[in-house]
Amino acid sequence: MTTSTPAVRPSSVSTSAGKGRFGGALGPAAFSCALLALTLSGPVAGEAHADAICAIDDHDREVCLDQPAERIAALSPGATELVYAAGAGEKVVAVVAFSDYPPEARDVPSVGSHTRMDLETLVTRTPDLVIGWVTGNPPEQLETIEALGVPVFYIEPRDFEGVSSAIERLALLAGTREEGDQVAAEFRQGMAALAERYADAEPVPVFYQVWDEPLMTVNDEHLIGKVLTLCGGINVFGELSRLVPRIGDEAVLEADPEAILAGGMGEENRDWLTHWQQYPELTAVRRDNLYFVPPSLIQRPTPRLLEGSRLFCERLDDAREQR
Amino acid sequence: MPASSAEVLAMPGRRSLWPPLAAFALLGLAALLLSVTLGSASLSPGDVWAVMRGEGSPLARTLILELRVPRALSAFATGGLLAMAGALMQVLLRNPLADPYVLGLSGGASVGALAAMLAGLGGAVISGSAFAGAFLSTLLVFGLAHGTGSWTPSRLLLTGVVVAAGWGAVITLMLAISPAERLPGMLYWLMGDLSYARSPWPPLALLLLICLLLAPLGRSLNVLARGPLQAAALGINVRPLEWTIYLTASVLTAMAVTTAGSIGFVGLVVPHMLRLVLGNDQRLILPACALAGGILLVLADTLARTLIAPEQLPVGVITALLGVPTFLFLLYRSR
Repeated sequence: MTTSTPAVRPSSVSTSAGKGRFGGALGPAAFSCALLALTLSGPVAGEAHADAICAIDDHDREVCLDQPAERIAALSPGATELVYAAGAGEKVVAVVAFSDYPPEARDVPSVGSHTRMDLETLVTRTPDLVIGWVTGNPPEQLETIEALGVPVFYIEPRDFEGVSSAIERLALLAGTREEGDQVAAEFRQGMAALAERYADAEPVPVFYQVWDEPLMTVNDEHLIGKVLTLCGGINVFGELSRLVPRIGDEAVLEADPEAILAGGMGEENRDWLTHWQQYPELTAVRRDNLYFVPPSLIQRPTPRLLEGSRLFCERLDDAREQR
Repeated sequence: MPASSAEVLAMPGRRSLWPPLAAFALLGLAALLLSVTLGSASLSPGDVWAVMRGEGSPLARTLILELRVPRALSAFATGGLLAMAGALMQVLLRNPLADPYVLGLSGGASVGALAAMLAGLGGAVISGSAFAGAFLSTLLVFGLAHGTGSWTPSRLLLTGVVVAAGWGAVITLMLAISPAERLPGMLYWLMGDLSYARSPWPPLALLLLICLLLAPLGRSLNVLARGPLQAAALGINVRPLEWTIYLTASVLTAMAVTTAGSIGFVGLVVPHMLRLVLGNDQRLILPACALAGGILLVLADTLARTLIAPEQLPVGVITALLGVPTFLFLLYRSR
């Protein structure tokens, strides 16, 4: 194997959280002084160089690279999409299972599920930048990756601006700002245009169904909840405290939404909607405002969200026409 | 059974202890070597040998010294701790179904760990919280079993089983209310998974320490295994010995659970397997458990991380799949 180890390239991750987490690396490093030096070289070289490329990740840590990343490992399907959107798709050397968009991503070697990565395969791909997922990846494994000297950039967009910002930051780290900034700007403008168009739209009480058994919806904090609000919808369960609340049929009957939008798995899923037709007293059923929206467009915080949002808004327009 | 025969049974020839232990030690080394050689990244035995001599490519060094060796050692230590804890619990409770988790230890540890995960905390906090939960459970069971009346194994067992059921309900509740994105991590922890393992040295050091501390107690344990009355008649101070066993088994289990989540089955089956093969001499069974438990978990973890690589399996599944048929076979043949 002729490729260099990721730790050889000088790079640094400075963290405000100040993690004293090299215990895991110190034990094995006792085998070899050289490795000890390798492991510690990251923090020692912590002073940022004048020409270093730095970006703040979604853990509020500053991640600096001495030169643009050339070999990127994206550890969530969403991160893969964002890296491709940032114009750095050709630099992606490792992805996780279900990284199905853009289609080229399917040909990139997988390092297993995002909940449990195969670190050996990841290390063999010799990435010089790892894009982690704040709530999706196991923290122990990301800490191990950092201890091996590979910088980890955590992302997790929680709103529309977060998507644009993530694309811009990834483009900065990958040295592809020209393309990335443009994609980010297009997304930002597209969402702003939708917001403007629906700012004064008639409100429509909506129930969004994430899953059928157990019956799950989203609250207003969830990205999908934010899309509903953007389109002039009123999420009937928006006030619930959990991000993805589990509810029952009774709660839906009581809330009596004017429209029901269903996502779920796969691209066609009418079964979930026929379930509601046993309740003709629901306004949404009476007016036949039962819609399926392909979840792939809406479930990940990526530029495809713009297309998904347009679809959502159109469905709510349909519901308004039934009045 | 007359005391004299217990005495005879408790003292087989001293020489017979060493050959089986040496064999297990060799097997353990072989298992560790195999585990370091096998992985999803293909390295030849030559590469491994080069790294061990201090040479080899930087990539091979990272793979072996930073990823495989610490994990294999953690697996060995965890398996040894669990098997020893199981052997001790079976002596203490004089019940063949006793295992390290029967007294609610893993339940308490799981609640601690899952609470930390629910709160979004990671890494060392999860381990610390699991350790705290295990000890809370130990104190709870011991305090309640002690109660106002006398302290009997069956009372301890019953208290432990009920406390464990209580923890089980809390775990189910936590899983039900936890956000979807945290569920996979929690389930892996509950099934036992060595990718949580950090430095292998604390569990290894504890394993060695307890082995040495228990060595002089082997004879007393042999007598105790035949019942407290006989033990007392033979001059054993039963109560302090039982306390020592209980606390030792708790520390062993807490450390194992803290290292790799709650891995089932090892603690129950390894001591039984060894008794079927080696006889019931605690001086031999305890160190043999440390080695055989380690071997089982090292092999199981090697399979867990390579079988369907790059996807990773939780090691607890593999220990059960490997152990159940082996144990049933031994049990069937021993009739």
